Amino acid sequence: MEERQYDLIFICRPDTPEPDIDKIIATVEHAATEKGGKIEKTEKWGRKRMAYRVQRMREGYYVFMLLRSTHGEVVKELERRLKVADPVIKYLTIRVDEELKRQEKLKRHREKRAARRPRKTAPAPAVPSSGEHAAAQS
Amino acid sequence: MADEQAPQAPPAPAAPSAPSGHSAGPGGPGRFGPRPQGGRPGGPGGPKRGKRSFIRKKKVCRFCVDKSDYIDYKRAEILAPFLQERGKILPRRMTGTCARHQRWLTVAIKRAQNIALLPFAAEL
Repeated sequence: MEERQYDLIFICRPDTPEPDIDKIIATVEHAATEKGGKIEKTEKWGRKRMAYRVQRMREGYYVFMLLRSTHGEVVKELERRLKVADPVIKYLTIRVDEELKRQEKLKRHREKRAARRPRKTAPAPAVPSSGEHAAAQS
Repeated sequence: MADEQAPQAPPAPAAPSAPSGHSAGPGGPGRFGPRPQGGRPGGPGGPKRGKRSFIRKKKVCRFCVDKSDYIDYKRAEILAPFLQERGKILPRRMTGTCARHQRWLTVAIKRAQNIALLPFAAEL
């Protein structure tokens, strides 16, 4: 099975001490590697105001992770762990590889088109310049 | 080439005396040149004036201008202008977004809503 890429975001309670958050991140990473996945990137976005109240809290500590895996069970296991982790109030996993693939494809397509015919820049100066030539001859 | 230049030469001296005839020649392509770059405002729907007297400005898809191939749900600040104050997603006819980008945009907005980056409905 081909490798899939996921975005994993979870929100902790705003009053969680930093070491606890690091501990959750460590357990998530450990669980991912154990199941054959790989955490490529971890970003702590820090305390942010949430758009709506979650469990009567207005703020949350956002953590973003990039996960690569060939098995879907990794996601299942990570979500189970996040669900039982006390400080985590919300989490979301999104599969992104197909959209990134689409993005790549569109980008390549655009570059190919730009290389084939540099229309955008070429005729625009050419037309006024020919007009200038005519004016210069006169 | 010599044939082409020969007919052009005779009207050229006449051009300063009678600008209405010949000056439109070089001026014409010059004026039409930049037009395709300007987002084709003269296309269909441009100068269409019905019973109503006001002219509607042609809206251009913001994502097409940026040539974006992917709308990131994580950047709530670029999605926020496409929401109404109460949190509804604005329709295409209001924002001018093209069909393809609107499709991506709604998906991005819904993802952002799920992780509390954007509201489902504004709180009162």
